[in-house]
Amino acid sequence: MRRTSFNLAGVLVAGVLLFGAGCHKETAPAAAPAGPGAPPATPPPAHVDGTPHTDAVEGAWRTAGLAPEGFAALQPVPYGASYCEEGRVQSIDTVVCEYRDQDALAKGQAGLMDQWGREGGHTGVAYHSKLTMIAIVDRARHDPNGKIIHQAIDAFRKL
Amino acid sequence: MRRTFVFVGFLVACSVGLAGTASVAHAEAVQYMSRHPIPKRVGHGFCEIDVPHFHDYPPSDPRLYRQVNGQNYFVGDPTPFGYDGPRYSFYGPHPIADPNVQLGGTSYCYLEGPHSHWYAPPPQAHFEMKGGAYWYTGAYEPSFYADQPRFVVVNDVYAPMVYERPVIDVAFAPPAFHAEFLVGGGPGWRYAPGWRENPGWRGPGPGPGWRGPGPGPGWRGPERREMVMRERHEEFRHEEHREWEHGHDHGWHGGPPGHEPGGPHGGWRGGPPGHEPGGPHGGWHPGPGPAAHAGPPGGGWHGGGGGPHPGGGGHGNQFHR
Repeated sequence: MRRTSFNLAGVLVAGVLLFGAGCHKETAPAAAPAGPGAPPATPPPAHVDGTPHTDAVEGAWRTAGLAPEGFAALQPVPYGASYCEEGRVQSIDTVVCEYRDQDALAKGQAGLMDQWGREGGHTGVAYHSKLTMIAIVDRARHDPNGKIIHQAIDAFRKL
Repeated sequence: MRRTFVFVGFLVACSVGLAGTASVAHAEAVQYMSRHPIPKRVGHGFCEIDVPHFHDYPPSDPRLYRQVNGQNYFVGDPTPFGYDGPRYSFYGPHPIADPNVQLGGTSYCYLEGPHSHWYAPPPQAHFEMKGGAYWYTGAYEPSFYADQPRFVVVNDVYAPMVYERPVIDVAFAPPAFHAEFLVGGGPGWRYAPGWRENPGWRGPGPGPGWRGPGPGPGWRGPERREMVMRERHEEFRHEEHREWEHGHDHGWHGGPPGHEPGGPHGGWRGGPPGHEPGGPHGGWHPGPGPAAHAGPPGGGWHGGGGGPHPGGGGHGNQFHR
């Protein structure tokens, strides 16, 4: 009898925990990768002329003594951009996006900041120069005083 | 069996509670417009990000911020909060002239006396650089006076702080400097009875370093006094030196030069104001009396200071953009 009761208790508790976990998955990433069955959408993303390209941004960071790593193109391209890469700078999650016009840039930047704000990172920043935006979110307090983020922005705006 | 259900209920309640805790752990994003101090409960020091950004914590002290479109802009002197970038010295209240932010109209810094900011005013702004500091020489808009009661409390934050304030000799004040001294503003920010709004006077005067005796009988809370330096500048300097000559060897008694005993503020019987350790860095510049550590009057501390400070590198343009 006692054993049965405890088994029942365990099942109930597990159910409640699962239910709770499910309830709090409220924010879906804006750029969910296309599933295997998804139809082939747009052509592969291309860089935008007339604005700093992602590789130039990463180069500027290296020159500034930072260590960008793991940058890869995002597809489909999120945040209304024409081209985006995601990676890390000194272990801080970073996105670089290129836009075709100011309107798309403004919307994309605002949407990204709004999403990150809801997700609850310690620090988040989005900054643009011409039609290229960099966005950095420090989720794990790698940069409590913002020194790295400031350095990354400073290098970027010198491009 | 009944005990089992009680146990299950307890566990369910705990689980729900934990889930709730997890959801509130995602603190609301708080927007900041530029650099700002980091609250002690979060860490320490100064956030160096000089573009709009968010954190998961609110400002440490709302008196140090101005809210513009939901964004918090730090309006204080960053020096005591661990800021180690370039600094520029200012004297007295002035329009906020940070070229990197848009505050949606003229907003004012209400800091009294000598203080620093991370920005230098743009050339078109009405500031004059004299004696290593920026002096505001333009007119104050009505909003300056209207907002004063709300924002003058920023001085209360700095009043008890001990840190290296810029040393500014008011003798360098440009003729067009038209200071607005904001008297009062809350506990901890008090002028000495008998203090005169006098640019040449380096006794108990305005400034965050001043912690003199409390207000006298005539105290009516915050009030604004106006001082036009152009007319009385030299006269006050003479008074100051005369008083030093007479008062030096006899200790510090009575008010500052020209003080009318029994005046509206009551009698001054106190010693010199609480002098900040580390020399004459504060708004109160040591004058006469044995407690003054600055040496003979007028010596050793004239000029100097001003911005950008050597400690901060002094290369604002390189630092900013």
